[in-house]
Amino acid sequence: MLENAWLAWMILGSPLIAFVVVGLIGRRLPEGGAHVVVGSLAASLVIALYFLVQVLQQGAIGNPTATTVPGFTWIPGDPATGEGAIGMNLLIDNLSAFLLVLVSFLSLLIAIFSIGYMHEEAGKPRYYAEIALFVAGMLGTVSADNFLQLLIFWEIMGLCSYLLIGFWYHKPEAASAAKKAFLVTRVGDVLFLAGILVIWNVFHSFRFEEIVQKIPVLWGGAYTPQLALLIPLFLFGGAVGKSAQFPLHAWLPDAMEGPTTVSALIHAATMVKAGVYLTARSFIFLVPIATGGGILVQAVPWNAILVIAGIGAFTAVFAGSMALANYDIKRVLAFSTISQLAYMFLGLGAGAYLMASEAAHGSTEVATAGYSAALFHLTNHAFFKALLFLAAGSVIHAVHTNDVRAMGGLGKLMPWTSKTMLMGALALSGIIPFSGFFSKDDILAVTFETGASNPLFYLMWVAGIGTAFMTAFYTFRMWLMTFHGEFRGHGHPHESPRVMTSVLIVLSVFTIASGAIAFLTNGFGNLIFYEEPHAALPLITPLLEGNVVELALTGLSLALALAGVGLAWAVYGKRVISPSTFTKTPTRAFLHSMLVNRYWIDDWYNAFGSRTVAGFARAVDWFDRNVVDGIVNALGRGGVVVGALSDLFDRKVIDGAVNSISLETIRSSLALRTRQTGQVQNYTWVIVLGIVAILVLAVLLGILPRILGRP
Amino acid sequence: MIPVEYELILSTALFCIGLYGVMVRKNAIIVLMSIEILLNAAILNFVAFSSYAPPAGDPAGQVFALLAIAIAAGEAAIGLAIFLALYETHGTTELDKIRLLRW
Repeated sequence: MLENAWLAWMILGSPLIAFVVVGLIGRRLPEGGAHVVVGSLAASLVIALYFLVQVLQQGAIGNPTATTVPGFTWIPGDPATGEGAIGMNLLIDNLSAFLLVLVSFLSLLIAIFSIGYMHEEAGKPRYYAEIALFVAGMLGTVSADNFLQLLIFWEIMGLCSYLLIGFWYHKPEAASAAKKAFLVTRVGDVLFLAGILVIWNVFHSFRFEEIVQKIPVLWGGAYTPQLALLIPLFLFGGAVGKSAQFPLHAWLPDAMEGPTTVSALIHAATMVKAGVYLTARSFIFLVPIATGGGILVQAVPWNAILVIAGIGAFTAVFAGSMALANYDIKRVLAFSTISQLAYMFLGLGAGAYLMASEAAHGSTEVATAGYSAALFHLTNHAFFKALLFLAAGSVIHAVHTNDVRAMGGLGKLMPWTSKTMLMGALALSGIIPFSGFFSKDDILAVTFETGASNPLFYLMWVAGIGTAFMTAFYTFRMWLMTFHGEFRGHGHPHESPRVMTSVLIVLSVFTIASGAIAFLTNGFGNLIFYEEPHAALPLITPLLEGNVVELALTGLSLALALAGVGLAWAVYGKRVISPSTFTKTPTRAFLHSMLVNRYWIDDWYNAFGSRTVAGFARAVDWFDRNVVDGIVNALGRGGVVVGALSDLFDRKVIDGAVNSISLETIRSSLALRTRQTGQVQNYTWVIVLGIVAILVLAVLLGILPRILGRP
Repeated sequence: MIPVEYELILSTALFCIGLYGVMVRKNAIIVLMSIEILLNAAILNFVAFSSYAPPAGDPAGQVFALLAIAIAAGEAAIGLAIFLALYETHGTTELDKIRLLRW
């Protein structure tokens, strides 16, 4: 149990409070309330660290811990058993405790950096309020103890990404990029929601812990093989949208229209990492645990795992290649994010497959290496990508452009930015001893090992090392074009203020140090793992065990990365090879333009939007106009005719009757009043004649005796 | 004793004379006098039937006759007062000149 568990709510509560405060009175605070947000994130970080320390003290290294921090019951379930209740609780286990620290730390640094970066912008209160809400969303996502709560915070993030990407909403590109981000991730969110509904239908619970226990009980009953395949795929659909994997990757490069700090936040700490986190949480479906330990091999959805790993491997190459020919410093980084996230999915998929297939072959040991490697990469990537983005932000802050062709030679003018970004670039390229190297190598090793179970993974491994080469090349192409050579832009760029560079320096330290977590904890898999810890030091364990294959693979990927760096140096540093070599022949030019145009996928989507969807819309419109409207109009006309008839009836018959009665009354009264002469004697005549007439009638009818009262 | 038929014939004759006067004559005074004749015809009927009623007559008829004579006197007084007022306002007592009952 954790001490002061209720404090965990303050981890996400404190940015939420900052959101409210800055949102309401940010206008009157200095720097638009930046310090409130920084303070709240620092508070989150402190509390998160407090819990991480507690988790570690309870033996988290090599042991799983999990504490549910009770919140409140949102929807009470069955009054007798409490079955089916939906609550809002926090789950503090190894993974979430670690991610809470990671997210709050990076968000804090990015918020501090924003003080410098956003200094001259209008609308700072809006920016800081949204940043606070965004971080609260991510903190809530990683600490939710059930899928519904996760979805709620997930959607808060989606909203904030929309708001922040569209921060400069008066720019049409930014507005449309924000819309694109929102709509494209929405496609994934719908799948996620569908998955959640299926989960509820099967398990009558959203809580991870309950679902884990219910899977072996319900297997073969309510939890059928089809559902076992469907649920993780639906959840992965959500992850694909949020983490910008193929085919929902299109929003992330466009999301660069937002401020660079927002990009850093989205790419490093929040948003895109949520997809990886969700897929990690969905391991309970991918590698279900049997009652009493071990893996329930029958319930493993092999095809879902293959889809996850396959999309990961494909997207890695796909996005990496698009970064090769891009000139926008932020877009290169955006593509690299997609590509690195794809690595994580590849690691998760390969890890799940390896785990399941080893269990299928009778091994009782749960090999968690892929899971840990992916989350290790998530950690490292968070640090170096935040560093890269913030450094890019520093550059953009200085030269006021994103185009690397208008940069160059900034290394001398911006020494701190240049050196810290170099650290990030080395980490991204996977050069030893920077953090990216260890985690990427872990992922590739797991993928290769899984190849023994399913040869498809060899193919994915090839994709992985191919991506490693491309990553190194485009990263250094970008870095060299920015900082090397002569300045090709206008104005006099200068180093960014201290508040920005100090953040870069802190991050560059962590870029190296985050790789060392693996050594501190005797392997990252010893800290964050699925079911069973996996103690293996990167590089050192295979060396001690004499695992030649793994060492050779490591050497190969490192060599390829170095080759990529070397090629970039040769082209953009030393200029031994002219960049025009890449566009010399028609084939190369075609490939180049294909990459520049992002495989025309955005064009296809637009064409799909403008032709197919619009065509469909037109067809529907035609149907609407001619068929539906026709029916409606016919009905309307029928109504009009009926109304006219009714009107006619009303006028002629009813009104006619009423009018004619009154008219006849008037007419007859006009005729009759001439009989009203006013002459007394005329009346006397009438009276007398009347009496006579009555008497005559009475006599004629023989009723005179009765009138006179005689029987 | 005079047979009752004679009295009734006289009464009827009086009634017809009175009715003729009411319906035909234009002078209001004469119409009023004709109404008196009509009343007298009715009173004569009361008296006639009072003495004729078996076995020895019924005094109720005579009482009614006296009552009717008294009322006729009142009626004549009111009628004359009305005609006087009419004459003062319209300057005539010719009934066909007076159209007060008209709409």
